[in-house]
Amino acid sequence: MNLARRVTLSFALSGMLAVEAVAGGFQLNEHGARAMAQAGAFVARASDGSAVFFNPAGLAFQDQISVYGGVTAVIPTVSFYGPLQNNTNAKTQAPNQFFSPINAYVTYPAFERLHVGIGVNNPYGLGSEWPDTWIGRYLTTYVSLHSFYFSPTVSYKITDDLAVGGGFNYVTGSVSLERAVAIPLQAADGDPKVTLDLTGHGYGWNAGALYKITRDISIGASYRSSVKMDASGTASFNPNYAPLDLPAGGVTTSIKLPATAFAGLAWTPAGEKYQIEADYQWIGWSSYNQLAFTFQADGSQVIQPKNYSDTYILRIGGEYALGDFRIRGGYLFDHSPVSTEYVDPILPDANRNGINLGLGYSFSKEFSVDVAYLLLLFNERKAVNTTPTVNFDGTYHTHVSLFGVNLGYSI
Amino acid sequence: MRSIRFAAALAAMLIAALLLGGCKDSTPSGPVAGMGNTTVTKYVAIGNSLTAGYQSGGLFQSGQIYSYPNLIAGQLNLAGASVGSFEMPLYSDPGTPDPKTGKASRYEILSMTGPVIGPAGAPPGAPINLTLARPYDNLGIPGAVIYDFLDTTSFLAKAGPPRNNPLFSLVLRNAVMGKNILEQARALHPDLVTFWLGNNDVLGYATSGGVSPSAPTSSAVFGALYAQALGALRAALPNAKIVVANIPNVTCIPYFTTVGPRVAASLPAGYYLRYQKHGNTSLAFDSTRFTEATPPFITLPGQTYALLIGHPSGKWYRDNGVALPAGIDTTKPFGLHPQNPWPDALMLDADEQAVAAGAVSAFNGIIASQASVNGAAVVDINLFFTGIKANGLLVSGQEFTADYVSGGLFSLDGVHPSSRGQAVVANEFLRVINGKFGTSIPMVDVGTVPGIPSPLAKGAAGLQVDPSLYQTMQDLFGSSR
Repeated sequence: MNLARRVTLSFALSGMLAVEAVAGGFQLNEHGARAMAQAGAFVARASDGSAVFFNPAGLAFQDQISVYGGVTAVIPTVSFYGPLQNNTNAKTQAPNQFFSPINAYVTYPAFERLHVGIGVNNPYGLGSEWPDTWIGRYLTTYVSLHSFYFSPTVSYKITDDLAVGGGFNYVTGSVSLERAVAIPLQAADGDPKVTLDLTGHGYGWNAGALYKITRDISIGASYRSSVKMDASGTASFNPNYAPLDLPAGGVTTSIKLPATAFAGLAWTPAGEKYQIEADYQWIGWSSYNQLAFTFQADGSQVIQPKNYSDTYILRIGGEYALGDFRIRGGYLFDHSPVSTEYVDPILPDANRNGINLGLGYSFSKEFSVDVAYLLLLFNERKAVNTTPTVNFDGTYHTHVSLFGVNLGYSI
Repeated sequence: MRSIRFAAALAAMLIAALLLGGCKDSTPSGPVAGMGNTTVTKYVAIGNSLTAGYQSGGLFQSGQIYSYPNLIAGQLNLAGASVGSFEMPLYSDPGTPDPKTGKASRYEILSMTGPVIGPAGAPPGAPINLTLARPYDNLGIPGAVIYDFLDTTSFLAKAGPPRNNPLFSLVLRNAVMGKNILEQARALHPDLVTFWLGNNDVLGYATSGGVSPSAPTSSAVFGALYAQALGALRAALPNAKIVVANIPNVTCIPYFTTVGPRVAASLPAGYYLRYQKHGNTSLAFDSTRFTEATPPFITLPGQTYALLIGHPSGKWYRDNGVALPAGIDTTKPFGLHPQNPWPDALMLDADEQAVAAGAVSAFNGIIASQASVNGAAVVDINLFFTGIKANGLLVSGQEFTADYVSGGLFSLDGVHPSSRGQAVVANEFLRVINGKFGTSIPMVDVGTVPGIPSPLAKGAAGLQVDPSLYQTMQDLFGSSR
């Protein structure tokens, strides 16, 4: 009976695709409501604590001790129509999900030219969920990814107009993947679910520069390295039909979170009430070569070649001062790294347009609040001629609402 | 005051957000279930055990309801074809009896330890749809060969020698409704007919290790019979949509691919499997050295006897009432000694494989050309199963293979599809029907079809298949002419 191994291998294949996809499309770029309200176009200003993420050089221009922290509510709405393999266009609505990535930054102007800061945020932290009985249950029913970046940062002002900065990233993360398995036998409790839980950690670094070309124009650029996460965990079955010897057990892998870079140009005319910035963000998926899972039970390894290409996000945003308020808005275009034949329900990724709105308000000299709303409208994604390991064609419709709020305190 | 202003501004933003986010999801373009310009009000399935939904060595209700014709009928109705209730010769679980024991012939997983697979020894079921006052829509008769389609011999006579097949009476019941399969099909006035006959013209030869019958139906005879059969069907139903399926190569089925690799792996270095060469009644033996890469095609019932290799044994001859051939000495090591070779009946050797493959190839050529002559669509089930054998089949994320039990597609007899295997076959028929007739019939969700019933109780290592499977398959195919 080769059943156990068969189940292991087919699970492994699916699991690998999942982790790859999860790391890819579940990237979050909302790390502060002020930047978020301006479509994340912030690298050339980096004028609050979120500079730790967007551009560490920005800290050198901040002369106050500040604490800036908040949370983003992420509410995706996803539906699938298909699969075409079954000659159907039937709709499956994914259950409502809610994610709440956090961000918190403390900055301190330690010396006149050397400022320091530390931040914690969740650059990857989303998931997907499908009904337990849906037609694609053997591909996926649940995926969840969490990551925490701890980033001590320094920034040095070389001249009054030019600063550089850099940071170290310690990253911890976990991923949970679940799907059903059609064991060949009729099981009283229905299809067992196999769950793969992995936790891991890794290290990275980031660096940036910010230059005020004139009083009114600044440019900024930053780079964040890839992070190789060494992860280990277990595969488990529920219910675990003991006689089948389903291969619950240890699994190790390494997952590479990709490098990313921002470059931007900001227009901040002195004495005017508005500022505006346009950014280009690059995400280096092509460096991501393969993913290998090793099963501890028998040392067997399954390797999946990667299939992503480098991608980009275009961002433009700005704010307008109106009394105590800052009224903000922006637009972004996010280009999917996933090619059509690899689109699957674990991550029904698509090119997307984002519309951003937001408000900033100062209650006092010290205390401020920022709120932001981002509507991500995914283009209709047709998955056609999906690879033999997916073989699940159809159409995905997705939109995501994100609500961000941050509180700031600075002295 | 400041707080009120902030709250008002926040409220304005939230309203703007809701206006943005409240977009309506509209259905994308995609297939719409429907029959196109094709009208189907009656569907009739003609065939053999595969069509009847026979599986795991028996015909029983919980398998019949997942026969591919019944699944197709359900999908036709989903597409708006209104074929109504699809009537079958249902036989209550645990199904039809083994004529020798009187108990249900159905194979079950008796213990997951092993697993141990064989008849459970339960009393048989009974027919439960005998009173239907018209022919059945599923006219699949286990054991039927191409000759039977037009044969008007009394059904009851076929229950006696040489056919010993009581299932003609179960399916066709009463000559008043039609004296052969064709007449009963015609009486139903179908506008869609699936026709899948011919498998048994080679399967009996193959499952008996090339012994009984000692040759497949000759391709000349098969060609004449098939042309006559399909021509008669077309003449009887000039306007019906006819879909024929061809014959899968027998080497794709786990009946031949499960035991051989185990034997090849277990032989000590330097030992050869010595087997009785096809057609040799005197002592002439082959000593081919099999490897795991090129294993012998030992039949599934040979599993029991494979455990005796190397031991002095005459169990096979005793179990099957076969007189010892001259020169056989059962005190010699079974399967290894030239005087006690592996029996011909438990292996399809290279010559026999070639004979079977040649027959399948010739039959499929005949099926293709006759389908063309008679305006029938062809389901290339041979190509389909060859692909599964080579690459497996991924259905909505679940991988199926042609492996015994674990592959999910074959039932416990190693020849017939499981319920999920039937669903996969149904979908292949539907794919061809949609392509040929401009319909848009949705496929069966294979995952919703139940797997093989099992006790899910833990047991010891080592596959055990009851050796009576040889006789069960012989009853079904072996004496079918």
